[in-house]
Amino acid sequence: MDRYLVRVSSRTEPLLGHIQDISHQVWFLQDQTLVAVPRKHGVIPVTIALISCKYPETLEKDKGNPIYLGLKEPELCLSCSKVNDQPTLQLMEQNILDLYNQTEPVKSFLFYHNQNGRTSTFESVAFPGWFIAVSSEDGCPLIITQDLGKTSTTDFVLSLQ
Amino acid sequence: MPYLLLCVVSLALTHFVRADECKDISVKNEIISVDQPFAFNCTHPPQTSGEVNITWYKNSSKIPISKNVWSRIHQDESWILFLPLTWRDAAIYQCVIKNINSCYRIHVNLTVFRKYWCGISRNALWNLSDEYIQTLHFGKADSLTCHLNFPKSCVLDLIKWYKDCKEIEEKRFNPEGVKLFVNNVSAEDRGKYACQARLTHMGKEYIVLNSISVDITEKVEYGDRVPKITYPRNNSIEVKLGSTLIVDCNITDLRENTNLRCWKVNNTQVNDYYRESKRIREGYESEVSFEQYNKYTVNITFLEVKMEDYGRPFVCHAGVSAAYIVLKLPAPDSRAYLIGGFIALTGVAVSVMCIYNNFKIDIVLWYRSAFHSTQPIDDGKLYDAYVLYPKPQSGFQSHNVNILVLKILPEVLERQCGYKLFIFGRDEVPGQAIASVIDENSKLCRRLIIIIVPEFLRIGLLKNIAEEQIIVYNALIQEGMKVILIELEKIKDYTDMPESIKYIRQKHGAIQWSGDFTEESQSAKTKFWKKVRYHMPPTRYPPLSPIQLLKHISCN
Repeated sequence: MDRYLVRVSSRTEPLLGHIQDISHQVWFLQDQTLVAVPRKHGVIPVTIALISCKYPETLEKDKGNPIYLGLKEPELCLSCSKVNDQPTLQLMEQNILDLYNQTEPVKSFLFYHNQNGRTSTFESVAFPGWFIAVSSEDGCPLIITQDLGKTSTTDFVLSLQ
Repeated sequence: MPYLLLCVVSLALTHFVRADECKDISVKNEIISVDQPFAFNCTHPPQTSGEVNITWYKNSSKIPISKNVWSRIHQDESWILFLPLTWRDAAIYQCVIKNINSCYRIHVNLTVFRKYWCGISRNALWNLSDEYIQTLHFGKADSLTCHLNFPKSCVLDLIKWYKDCKEIEEKRFNPEGVKLFVNNVSAEDRGKYACQARLTHMGKEYIVLNSISVDITEKVEYGDRVPKITYPRNNSIEVKLGSTLIVDCNITDLRENTNLRCWKVNNTQVNDYYRESKRIREGYESEVSFEQYNKYTVNITFLEVKMEDYGRPFVCHAGVSAAYIVLKLPAPDSRAYLIGGFIALTGVAVSVMCIYNNFKIDIVLWYRSAFHSTQPIDDGKLYDAYVLYPKPQSGFQSHNVNILVLKILPEVLERQCGYKLFIFGRDEVPGQAIASVIDENSKLCRRLIIIIVPEFLRIGLLKNIAEEQIIVYNALIQEGMKVILIELEKIKDYTDMPESIKYIRQKHGAIQWSGDFTEESQSAKTKFWKKVRYHMPPTRYPPLSPIQLLKHISCN
């Protein structure tokens, strides 16, 4: 049976959802850091907020949809910038709609969302070739890596509300 | 010595104060089954990456947890390890993370419970608190994970998988490392699973058992990731200048897609392009969710269409898909013009016909007077008309007929209009045979004027006489003469008429006499005379005498 759910939303409302990896670990906020923990009763995963960038034509075309990725609450966004000369994933205090409404794409906060079957990857726009990843070990923070499919996984399952 | 003591006390105090200054960063609740090995890793990502000192405490004890690997509870690097857990271990444990500049404290509230699993006690409630939740994707190959989180000193192997308390042996399930791969996931794969592993630490073996609740997703096709725009279809829209216009963009897309949906002009979102005037805006997005996909509608509103909007593509984007509309000025309505033109032409034609029908005679007479030469044409004819009329000796109308034929006709047609008539009884040469006179002279005439009097029809006049027969024969058969039928009175019934007269009336019509029978008052410009003159040939002769014309009104 088809389900009908009619929703009228403003253009400037981010999509909400949850992200987990293929090892059934959900994204969990632990003291201003995103970590991946096994999904369990009593573990409340963070609600992800994401919104597409208005200017995809100014970015690379075949890598996926450029999106801003943040949390619904608190007001934090994922950003990739160099720390000690190394691309580093960080949660920054940032309103996602402020990023969306910028007149130019804010590359450090943008990720190419690429879908392959049911899984998605999130590649940094500022550092092409670097992907959001989690270690297979429980409770490890999310990182950005260019070593694909080794000790960490870059494949996530995005479920939007 | 007292100074040294003071120094030591103050150092100890400093140390104590510092420990208390640690920042409490989180409280974790762990509910673990008794008799199982349990380990908890103390991590605080920004701090545990560099040089740090991690110490575990039980409750508010100042004595750290032992680091002796043979101890049942001991600290192993950043971990606290219980081999195995007992009821007495339920407590709040603190992990203190210190480096040169900072100190953080994590609290772990450990609860111990008895897990009843598979037949040990059927009456016991299934305790959900330590249960993992995992999801398999319908119809796909997917996997479950046995989360075994222990320090490196622990060796984990011999992982067994159970479903609903029975060891899984089906070939569709393939255990590999900590994973259980499931081929072609079906709805029956939903249920309660468990994974069991052997943990070996310092030569001693333990059993770890994890419960996993497995759910199956709905069937989702991931085939076409490209959104479809069902409208617009690169079409044009006719719209009047200055009007308001709303156009919907209809998109079908998978729910999990993060495609941007918007209206653009000149490769810029319309809301940005018309940021100042807000004349053209993108509307709210509405969305209808179906099982497999969503249908989205995003509209564009032109508050007032301006000239610059025509011919410019307004593009609806949905990810990599795009489709545009182009505004067009409405084409003039050619059908309306055609119909209008046709009506106008018809009107003109009808008017012309009406005018012609009403003024046909006047127009023809005017044309003749204006353009026809008065020079005689040599057609071998001597007379313009032969006048055929009944000649009864008595009766009410005989006098009138004689007046009309012998006085009025010559007065108007000959004197005023210049025609030349042949009137039997006036123009024949005496002594000639009647038949030959009629035959010869009728052939010299251009028209035949027949006077019909209803009164005489009853007594058979103008029915059988030789004059009539000869003339009518000549007129109809031989010469093809035009006949002018003048009825002295209205004739209601033509049944008694000769066939030839009936035919002539049907073909040429008849002119009803109007006026009185006084010779003096006749004018060629009355309606009756105009009709007669219309049927007569064009005048070629000047009126008879200028002196006579002084008394009369000219024919033209």
